[in-house]
Amino acid sequence: MNKKILLFTTLIGLTFLVGCSRAEHKVPLEEIGLAGIMAFDYIDENKVQLSVAIPQHSPGAKASTQVFSVPTELLSKGIVDIEALSDKKILFNQLRVVLINEEFARKGRVERMIQHLYRNPEPGNKVLIAIVKGSSEELINADYPNKPDINYYINDLLLPTINTAFNPNTNIHDFIYTATNPVFDPLLPIIEKKDDKLEITGVALFKNNNMFETLTPEEAFIIQDLIGKKKLAPLSVELNQGHGKESLMLERVKSRVKMKSNKNIKSPKLTISLFYKGTLVEYTGERENDLHSPESLSKLEKDINKQVEEEVKKTLNKLKELKVDPIGLSENFRMYYDGKWTKEMTEENISKLEVDIQVKTSIISTGTLD
Amino acid sequence: MSTHTKKILNGYHVVFLAQSAMIGSGILTLPRELSSVGYSQTFLPILFGVFASLTLWPMVWLNLKYPNENLFRINEILLGKGLGKILNVLIILQFTLFIAGIINKYMHLIQSTALPEQTITKPVLLFLLLLIYIVNGGIKSIARFCMLTFFLTIGIFYFTYWAVQKGDFSHLFPLFNFNGKELFEAMGKGYLAVLGYGAIMFYFPYIVDQKKAFKHVLTGIWISISLCFITVLISVMYFSEWQLKHIEFSILNLLKSGELSFVERFDIIGVTLWVFLILTTVAVYLWSAKEGIVSLFSKEKKYYIYVLTAIVFLIVRIPFPQEFQDKFFTTVNYIAYFLIVWPSFLSIIYLLRKKQVQP
Repeated sequence: MNKKILLFTTLIGLTFLVGCSRAEHKVPLEEIGLAGIMAFDYIDENKVQLSVAIPQHSPGAKASTQVFSVPTELLSKGIVDIEALSDKKILFNQLRVVLINEEFARKGRVERMIQHLYRNPEPGNKVLIAIVKGSSEELINADYPNKPDINYYINDLLLPTINTAFNPNTNIHDFIYTATNPVFDPLLPIIEKKDDKLEITGVALFKNNNMFETLTPEEAFIIQDLIGKKKLAPLSVELNQGHGKESLMLERVKSRVKMKSNKNIKSPKLTISLFYKGTLVEYTGERENDLHSPESLSKLEKDINKQVEEEVKKTLNKLKELKVDPIGLSENFRMYYDGKWTKEMTEENISKLEVDIQVKTSIISTGTLD
Repeated sequence: MSTHTKKILNGYHVVFLAQSAMIGSGILTLPRELSSVGYSQTFLPILFGVFASLTLWPMVWLNLKYPNENLFRINEILLGKGLGKILNVLIILQFTLFIAGIINKYMHLIQSTALPEQTITKPVLLFLLLLIYIVNGGIKSIARFCMLTFFLTIGIFYFTYWAVQKGDFSHLFPLFNFNGKELFEAMGKGYLAVLGYGAIMFYFPYIVDQKKAFKHVLTGIWISISLCFITVLISVMYFSEWQLKHIEFSILNLLKSGELSFVERFDIIGVTLWVFLILTTVAVYLWSAKEGIVSLFSKEKKYYIYVLTAIVFLIVRIPFPQEFQDKFFTTVNYIAYFLIVWPSFLSIIYLLRKKQVQP
């Protein structure tokens, strides 16, 4: 009996309540535009030119990418404006690259923009960030005759490869991590358009949330080496140790970095030891014909050690002068410091830091020819 | 059905009931709750484990004195019928609100990640229907579901290895650079994540081997504690102190840190799989609350569960202002601590009134 009443009331309820349900508007897949690149250009203190590149998958489309661009104050407001221009709903689940032009990086509120993306659950953490020399809007609008799609082109360019080992490959998480961690300063790769191709020409150093200085690829390479990147790029060395000008290439098999601090922040001292183990691939110079004996090779190893030491020292001195710490050298002091570590302490620490560098190279072979 | 024969839970059931009731929504935000002590939070889960083990002892001790009664009945025996019943009503109320709090928190996460453009009414309804189904099966069915859940979800932890690769081991170096107030704050907020083992006081009468129950629950507790420890450890390695403080769901970001060749956004899978962990926790609490009502009216009716679930649904769906909601659920959570120390208090009463309250 009870069950019958229950069934009856449910049925009546359902019949009359059907009109109350409202169809939820869901966007079908064809009407979604998945943004691949987002770019910021500096206009003035408050305003930024926001550009979004959306790859087009329709076979009828002539251009492979559609680019929208609006000036805006708020990032999310800009996205709404762009949606109004576009025929599609724009989602950021497939966002791959964020480009920031140099002026914005130097004067704009970079951290706020990146934080907005970090807060948004839509984009993944693997969105890569890069600085553009000149206008980033022009860069994505430009024509690259050899490349089918700018979205994939820039993403592939920024992904880690052996040949651009100096590239810090900074993604959103890395940027936020290094910007908010007092012992780090963020690094971002700089890309530049040269003729009809793009090139990573250097690395931008950040300090207090703004771009501050550029580093050459060679300096950036040393920094990546000291950070201890696992990827083993070939080491090219220009020797200048009393045998005239020599140059050589060392294909590394193993490389390790070890840091030891004296735990004293009053007079900080850091011992950095670098170990390289590799094959001598190519050599040109005075000693070309007498590199057959183990003795001559060990002499060469010593010369390489000296040369690398000098170069590392030079880079570190530059960082010391600039009072920035992209490597996180201060972490070796923070981990022993009983108290709260601040950004100012990192600055002070790096400017006072005394570094002792020891490089140890070991050439394990010279190829299959004797 | 097997629900009416009393002793039905074997050792494995007990281990996983204890374990699953602990891992729920708390662990999702654990690194943030502990963030007032910064990087030093790594060791806190271990401390929680020791605390949990210590507070478990009076619970089991008391239950062993009354092997056929649950906490609701023990309250009535030790405090007298009137006072005991009032207290039981409060416990039932607290459980109901606690369940609503857990569901609310999880649905908030789901809304902001997996279903950004929908209201959560339908997901909550489906969740509650599933919950009723599980709880209707009785404590043994919940225990079996807990075991299933553990093995279904434990795999998620493997996918934190991306974060380990990127993390800095030097963050783990113990500095103890915090003061007492910060430690107290972290303990107060973080201990919530490991509550849940207290439910032993309600399903104890159903355990076959009650002598070994302490050992079994302890195993469960330490499985959960090690999961919490791993989560906190990896978060400390992967995040900066600022991130630890500001990222709401650290597990979500840990899972975001990498990708498989065929799955790009593993975090969404992880978060949706998490529903199992929430279900087990909530199921144990709901079952306990139902037992409470049974002891209150001294008879068993099927509709108790439906009524409780309906109340939970209303609390989750009533549009309270967000601020009030946060305060409300936080207060409810703190009351949960009361249940942890209550058995110790009851044990003292038992010792004082030993002669009068022999079972």
